[in-house]
Amino acid sequence: MSSVAAGALQVTGVALAPLLPGAIQSAKARLQGRRGASPLQPYRVLGRLWRKSTVDPEGTGIVYRAAPALAGACLLLAIALVPLGGRSGDWSLGNDALVLVGLLALARFAVTAAAWDTSNGFALMGAARDLTLAVFGEALLLLALLVAALPARSTDLVAMTGAAAGTGIWGEPAHWCGALAFALVVLVETGRQPVDNPDTHLELTMIHEGPLLEYAGRDLAYLHWVAAARHWVILTLAAQLFLPHPLGFAGGVATLAGGLVALCAALAVTETFQAKMRILRVPSLLTIGSLVALVGVGSWVAGGGS
Amino acid sequence: MVALAGVAALALGGLVAAWPGRLGIGLAAQAVGRALLGASGAAVLVGGDAVGAPFRSDIAPAVGLDALSGFFLLVLAITAVPALVFARPYLGVGPAPRAVGSLTAAFLLALTGLLAARDVTTFLAFWELMTLVPAAAIIAARRDAPVRSAVFAYLAITHLGGAGVWIALLALADHGAIGDPAALAQAGGGAQTLVAVAALVGFGTKAGLVPLHSWLPRAHPVAPAHLSALMSGVMIKVALYGLIRVEFEWLGATPRWLGITLLAVGLLSALGGVLWALVQHDLKRLLAFHSIENVGIIALGLGASLLFASAGAREFAAIAFGAALLHVANHAIFKALLFMGAGAFERAVGALELDRLGGLLRRMPWTGGAFLVGSMAIAGLPPLNGFASEWLTLQSLLHLALDAPVGVALAGAVALAGLAATAALALLCFVKVVGLVLLGAPRRPETAAAVEAPAGMRAGMVALAALCVVIGLVPGLLVPTLAGLAPGASDEVLARHAGLDVPGTGSLPALGLAVALLVLTAALIRVRGSRRAAPAPTWACGQPVTPALNWTSAGFTKPLRLVLEAVLRPRRELEVVEQGGLVQSVTYASEVPSLADAVLYEPAIRTGLRGAAFARRLQTGNVRTYALYLLALVLGLLALVRTGALG
Repeated sequence: MSSVAAGALQVTGVALAPLLPGAIQSAKARLQGRRGASPLQPYRVLGRLWRKSTVDPEGTGIVYRAAPALAGACLLLAIALVPLGGRSGDWSLGNDALVLVGLLALARFAVTAAAWDTSNGFALMGAARDLTLAVFGEALLLLALLVAALPARSTDLVAMTGAAAGTGIWGEPAHWCGALAFALVVLVETGRQPVDNPDTHLELTMIHEGPLLEYAGRDLAYLHWVAAARHWVILTLAAQLFLPHPLGFAGGVATLAGGLVALCAALAVTETFQAKMRILRVPSLLTIGSLVALVGVGSWVAGGGS
Repeated sequence: MVALAGVAALALGGLVAAWPGRLGIGLAAQAVGRALLGASGAAVLVGGDAVGAPFRSDIAPAVGLDALSGFFLLVLAITAVPALVFARPYLGVGPAPRAVGSLTAAFLLALTGLLAARDVTTFLAFWELMTLVPAAAIIAARRDAPVRSAVFAYLAITHLGGAGVWIALLALADHGAIGDPAALAQAGGGAQTLVAVAALVGFGTKAGLVPLHSWLPRAHPVAPAHLSALMSGVMIKVALYGLIRVEFEWLGATPRWLGITLLAVGLLSALGGVLWALVQHDLKRLLAFHSIENVGIIALGLGASLLFASAGAREFAAIAFGAALLHVANHAIFKALLFMGAGAFERAVGALELDRLGGLLRRMPWTGGAFLVGSMAIAGLPPLNGFASEWLTLQSLLHLALDAPVGVALAGAVALAGLAATAALALLCFVKVVGLVLLGAPRRPETAAAVEAPAGMRAGMVALAALCVVIGLVPGLLVPTLAGLAPGASDEVLARHAGLDVPGTGSLPALGLAVALLVLTAALIRVRGSRRAAPAPTWACGQPVTPALNWTSAGFTKPLRLVLEAVLRPRRELEVVEQGGLVQSVTYASEVPSLADAVLYEPAIRTGLRGAAFARRLQTGNVRTYALYLLALVLGLLALVRTGALG
């Protein structure tokens, strides 16, 4: 029964995902003394795009056309892999953390290859930057996931979220190191400041927005949803792996909601007080995160892996 | 019996191919022979019973097969049969088809002989043949100066490094340790260290492990495409076969330093290979560097397996071993596919410079589609085969980091991060390759005029692309068998499913994931509906998009080159000629020199040449001087005998 409930909850993630970037934008506007758009603004944008027709650039082919749907399918599966409240629906897809990393990479491939199909210079600029940062981001992501896998001795996300529950885990220095590393993962995977600026309208500074430039209509709606779904996947993971939460479904879901609010608020504060970094500086930031995670692994193993 | 028939058909095919006008029949006979050998290899692999002679340490020739040889024979067959089908139309219009056709058979026979050798002389004889025959085939097909120099570098480096193979095998035979791990364990640590290091250097050179890889990116790109496929797909794997035999089966111990060394060398190869692949401008050279990367990934799996074995974790030792072997098969398949695709593009366009291609997916849909599948597989994307083996390798490294001792755990964690970065770099590289070769608009008129490859070439590539998909869908049918090949593994390490069900993971239900991906993508495309608006030009700030505005290979990798400037050390030359305040011409050249060449090979070559120049003074060419040397030698020997130092 509870696996059905957990599955249903995961499906609502598909609908709730756009709320996260909307909430961050709204909170950021308040913090900056503006009134800003409502948190529901992403839904209005999606609705407007859904009613518009798509225009293809000349010379594009199947890769350009299939990319939004493929990226959307990857993120739908990713949402199904992440348990909520320590439980996951019975999708027969496993809940492996490294499969999740593979799905995010496939979505990245689809969007960046589509940028090549358009031959748009701005799209390729963003694609090249996205893939370059991913080199350092993926190493960091794997190490942060390794720290989270240490107490569970498994990369099964259900086991990992379960092992991270309770207060005992916070006595481990490794967990603090992992939390710090995962904070950087959140910044780079959701594409927020200081790594990327999702509000920018200047093509020259774009990273994740660049490859979307040629898209319109429902294709663009899919890609906007993909960006929101990345927020959902990464933030729900962060809240359940590295924020305090109780073991058990009902309590887990309640604290998850609180955790998501806290993470959105934290991102809004970061975006308000932190300017965008130079792109070439970001890799050093991510490498520092990787080193912190390595220290965590060392301290855990040296402590006897309790 | 089947194996003997296969060898006979292969030899016959080689002879027939040398006949004028009989190339097709010869290559067909070779393919049949290869398929028979693959079938016998598969039978031995699945049956698990060895046939023929067991390993022995004397020098009487002996041949036989066991499950590990059978697996490599199978890999050889699934690469070679499509390559031979591809070779028929490919060689038909190339230079020296008959010589290359029959040398292909000789090469395949040498690889088979090496895998079936059960004593040290047979092994070493076929080992040398395996090195020499492709060199002959390359020279037969192309004779210009750069090719000759590449072949010279290939032979020089593989022979110098290959001395390690001779030392390791002869030392093993001397201790009677071939096929008998207890013998070397008795001989003690010194002999074990000597054998382990010599084998690592010898087989590592041939496998293309950094820093002994320098021959590989020179030799592989100049060979005919089907031979490049076999060299990159199989030959360097056969070197790993030798490495597995010595380090895993005959060493009689699993020292921890060897596992750490393999991890370090593997990480260096994986990262180094993909980094220098990124900055190449020639497609085949880029693919050759990726072979170094993939051999590095295999070495990571093998190193993890040794470390698990030395810690007594038999189950994960077998899983890591299975991961390495699965990547052996996967890399053979997609690398052969990519090299054949490169050969087809070269035939269609006349060049392989990345910045001259483009838009080939539309003009060559079969070749382009197969190449796209191969590119996604080598980039380790789900649901293809490359993801399955990289997932298993990542899991092995991750579980290595879960337990003490701290040094091993940190080595596992660093290797995990390094492999993740390697996968992301490979993704960057193959997004670039797919974009420059297959997508967008053609960059040159000759590219725009490209036509699809003939049916035989298409069939070979499509078959390999299908294999990439099939192994990606059901890796779990293969991996338990491969993990069972690890020394000391129990029969059933893993349950046999379509997907991979590994303890301590969330499992990889590959088939379910692939079906879900396909269904969801199709559903999203259907919901989106058809397109009504006419296409519009790409936005380039109001300018028309001309080929001159297109992004280049160097442009796409620029952010990475800037970030990693300290490692890559790019060289740029910009020359602007001005006259009367007007710019007349601008020339720009940039290259990324290979770090290993600069810090390792060039000093070694300089020292060698200086030594040779010194030694040349002894050789004056004057007969009287040589007579003096002889006299001095005789006198010296007499003096030694007189003093009692000799006899």
